[in-house]
Amino acid sequence: MARYKRKRRLFRRRKVCRFCADTSLTIDYKDPRTLRFFTTERGKIIPRRVSGNCAKHQRELTRAIKRARTIALMPYAATLSHY
Amino acid sequence: MRRYETVFILNPELPEDQHKLLFDKLNGLVPEDQGTLVKLDEWGHKRLAYEIKKHTRGYYVLMDFCGDGALVHEIERNLRLDDRVLKYMTVLKDNAVDMEALEAELEAAKEQTPKPEPVEEATGEGEEKGDSEPTGTGEASVTEADPSENTPETSNQEEQENGTI
Repeated sequence: MARYKRKRRLFRRRKVCRFCADTSLTIDYKDPRTLRFFTTERGKIIPRRVSGNCAKHQRELTRAIKRARTIALMPYAATLSHY
Repeated sequence: MRRYETVFILNPELPEDQHKLLFDKLNGLVPEDQGTLVKLDEWGHKRLAYEIKKHTRGYYVLMDFCGDGALVHEIERNLRLDDRVLKYMTVLKDNAVDMEALEAELEAAKEQTPKPEPVEEATGEGEEKGDSEPTGTGEASVTEADPSENTPETSNQEEQENGTI
């Protein structure tokens, strides 16, 4: 039990939604450079529990990434050689 | 009236002079359905994230306009039939457009980029053009006056800095 507690303290970091913290940061499908932060190397969308985004912004982000994929600004599935 | 944004990708091998023809055709569709074209923004050649019709690069164009569903339908139909266009996507930006705010925005855009406007306005609206020119020159004279005021200060500062050094 004690070990579990210690482990938690060690690895847990407070996650803050990046878009709430910095209001100048906007979510736009035309800006794949920002969106790329929230995808894996393979092009998958990083889940909220990992990225720490709030629900509202994650929703907007997902929509933006999917739009960017539609118009070939971002990959649906990237090969690793891309990076 | 709703505000839409259409991004479309042109064949990268298409010569530059052909672009104009296509844009003119698309722009011509907008007023037919009582729409307003806000801007046509060419992003230029970009690398595609995945292959489209065996192309790895494409020429991106963004079209920002106001109109109704019928207009979107018409534009998309034209893009679909045109084989110079690799892919297109229309996004709804605003459900109800405030016409006054839009006109103000258009005016602001005109003042920023006066180059393409005289060509369009030369046909009918000579008076407005005449009105806009003096204001433009007035602004220009103000902006010209500012640097002349600033330059002595900066030069003084430089002299002071040089003196201290």
